[in-house]
Amino acid sequence: MKTSQHFLWPLLFISPFIAAAPFEDEDLDLDTLMGMDVQVTSAMKRTQSAFDTASSIYVLGKEQITSSGATSVPEALKMVPGLIVRQLDNNQWAISSRGVASRFSSKLLVMIDGQSLYTPKFAAVYWETLNVPLYDIERIEVIRGQGGLLWGSNANNGVINIITKNSIDTRGGYANATTGNQINTDANLRYGGDISNKGSYRVYGHIKNSNASKKGISLTPNDTTKQHSFGLRADFTPSDEWSALFQGDVTHSKLGQNYRGVVDETNTNISFSDDLKRTDSRMMTRIENRISTNANQMLQVSWLKQNGDQTYIKENFESLDIDYQMNFIYQSLQLDWGLNYRYNAISFAESVFLDSDKDLDNLRQYGGLVQAQYNFVPNTLDFIIGTKLDHNDLTGWENQPSARLVYKPIENHLTWGAISRSVRTPTLIEFNDNFKVNGTKIIDIIGVKTDIPVIDDYRIATFLNGNDKVKSENYISYELGYRFTNNDWALDFSAYHTNATDVAAIKLNTQFEQFLPAVAFFQAGQFEQAAQSLTTTEINFDLVSVGETTTKGFDIVLSWQPIDSLSTELGYSYTNIDYNLPEGTAPSIGFDSSNRQLFAKANYTLFTDHTIFTALRVENSDAYEADNYTALDLTWNWQINHTWAAALSGKNLFAGSHIEYNNTRETYTIPNYIDECITFTITIKF
Amino acid sequence: MLKFKGLLHSLTITFVLLFSTNSSAMEKEYMLKAGFLYNFARFGQWPVQLNENEYFTICSPDKSFIYAANVALKNRKIKHSPLQSLHVVLNEVSLEPCNILFITSDTITDWQKSQLTSYHNIMIVGESAEFIKSGGHIRFFLSSGKIRFEIDPLKLKDAGITMSSKVLRLARVVNR
Repeated sequence: MKTSQHFLWPLLFISPFIAAAPFEDEDLDLDTLMGMDVQVTSAMKRTQSAFDTASSIYVLGKEQITSSGATSVPEALKMVPGLIVRQLDNNQWAISSRGVASRFSSKLLVMIDGQSLYTPKFAAVYWETLNVPLYDIERIEVIRGQGGLLWGSNANNGVINIITKNSIDTRGGYANATTGNQINTDANLRYGGDISNKGSYRVYGHIKNSNASKKGISLTPNDTTKQHSFGLRADFTPSDEWSALFQGDVTHSKLGQNYRGVVDETNTNISFSDDLKRTDSRMMTRIENRISTNANQMLQVSWLKQNGDQTYIKENFESLDIDYQMNFIYQSLQLDWGLNYRYNAISFAESVFLDSDKDLDNLRQYGGLVQAQYNFVPNTLDFIIGTKLDHNDLTGWENQPSARLVYKPIENHLTWGAISRSVRTPTLIEFNDNFKVNGTKIIDIIGVKTDIPVIDDYRIATFLNGNDKVKSENYISYELGYRFTNNDWALDFSAYHTNATDVAAIKLNTQFEQFLPAVAFFQAGQFEQAAQSLTTTEINFDLVSVGETTTKGFDIVLSWQPIDSLSTELGYSYTNIDYNLPEGTAPSIGFDSSNRQLFAKANYTLFTDHTIFTALRVENSDAYEADNYTALDLTWNWQINHTWAAALSGKNLFAGSHIEYNNTRETYTIPNYIDECITFTITIKF
Repeated sequence: MLKFKGLLHSLTITFVLLFSTNSSAMEKEYMLKAGFLYNFARFGQWPVQLNENEYFTICSPDKSFIYAANVALKNRKIKHSPLQSLHVVLNEVSLEPCNILFITSDTITDWQKSQLTSYHNIMIVGESAEFIKSGGHIRFFLSSGKIRFEIDPLKLKDAGITMSSKVLRLARVVNR
């Protein structure tokens, strides 16, 4: 039986190209041929097949994204086995792999066409305002673990690179409209065409209006969305040697949000329902040059601007990235090298619960990378060694070396191993800022009540203090992988063990002498004065780089296509995180926990024009203060004719109203219950 | 002086590394282009139908392309006819069995000199910058390292060949 590579999902989406071997049927598909790079190596891109890559990689192809009925990038990412994708509410997401997903720190590098979306203030990605038209995504490459180190900094837990289609492939019109029980309107329009015979373009717009969740934890849900976006991409091909692309996107969002903060002298968290208004803009231009059939170079300049405005936090973030990369092959050696520069401008208006020590308002980062791949035995044994050397304003120079080995003893079997070091540079919250958190009661300090209400009920002002003694977190990772493909099935297994040192932890700093006047008043029976004296005290939780973690686990994905019309995938992932902390300290993100995920996915072509797509996720974890849950996504797609298509989707089916993420001490936002969601979509191509 | 020699040596090495042509890289590009020609053959309509014993023939004056095409398209058929790739010289007799003629950038000068710019029943495909203006029907170009193509359907029609809308949709259509 012949297996179509379109459906052998994880391993073969980028077809392995074997020189001097006849094409298989699926290689000769026009779509496949158009997806192949003519170069054996390419700057900023992975030209190897996923099968040959020495890291735990999963490629989410455009067919899957389309047939899944997803309406946003985070929703599409739910289809990647081993990726932790949890919703806080209808807008906000916590996404990571091989670690603890968090709204504000997931140690994950996210890029759109190589442009980093990392925000150094929080180490966050604003998933809720990330607008990439799903119908114009070529593929999403997900590297679990440290395999994507060369791509950028802070990629300790993984890399997500969203690769959009060349505009030459999106000429013509496209429109879709979705509605459902949660989404009132989600509509997209795109038009693309040629620019003389030297280029092509597309412009697109998007509007979204959706409802709040049905049930909140402590407040009535307010997680509505009003969003509109506009974007464009243009590609130019003046010659076979030179090509250029330009793209930009502006997204305005008004997102309802429930959150809590300390805003008055009670030092107590107060819950709010508020609207967050954000404008996210990005532009990127890239010039690629094919120096010869064996050498390429690339220059990319990217700009990102994000403004956020809500009652108590107003933030402005802007970044400029300049990346240059070059690579070539000489006999058995492939060499990649590059230089990068990043300028971040960050400003936060004075906030009642967030202030900065050092008024750092900009950060620069510059460095380079080099990687050599040597083919010891043709088509059998490859050794890859490389490093990324970066300088940043907070911790100076950081070195991230890695060594990888790929061994293909016989056809269709591949084993790989890797040892790598990575760092996570501190965020400004950790380095520079003081965050006022829910006040501490006397009982929490001395362990007993005084039975004097005015003292027992008082909350002492409490701060989470970043400071400039915080170091970069240091990760050493050992990985081992095995892959096998057969005609109708494929297996991908990877295991890892990561030791981290200098992990940020929280240390209680009470400065006991500040309480002596209050103690004296108390002992003299002057309780009112004792309570009054407490208002001059404060408790600090200092961030200290003293933690150690051991993270270990594995990912296994089995793909099987028993008949042409049915492709299936079964995955299981296990992650265990173990903190080792000195006495008197607590983890800052996550805690000792285990995460298990069982994953099943199927795509069935019922008749020529009807397909059923289904994905089942069993999430079993003690890392999110939430019950385990099982959710089913089911989508029926009907291609009515060449022009029209319709889809009916049910998401989070059978999970009931459930909480996916409840680590509220790590985030000031208040999650809601996640509900089933039904959508109906109509699509037209013209 | 020694330093200068060292610098010169390293510059030469870099130059050699960057501009040396690696045969497997070239072969990959030609294998992919052969794959496209196979699709043009599948989705094109020629005025004369071949019977099962007749070969569908892809020709090129470039030996390295024919080598790559023979590897890539081994044992393939076009509508029941076996497919063959044939090295040809650019004259009318040699081109007689051809259904598709591929002119590589290394052989474009020979093609222009031959003045065989229009030939009935042969789809003429190239990869050089002004190939369509030089009389070609289809031209490959690269966009971000991937192969795309432009088609002049009128010239193709003049040669008696029509191309399916499936292929035309993917092409940049010139001289509409």
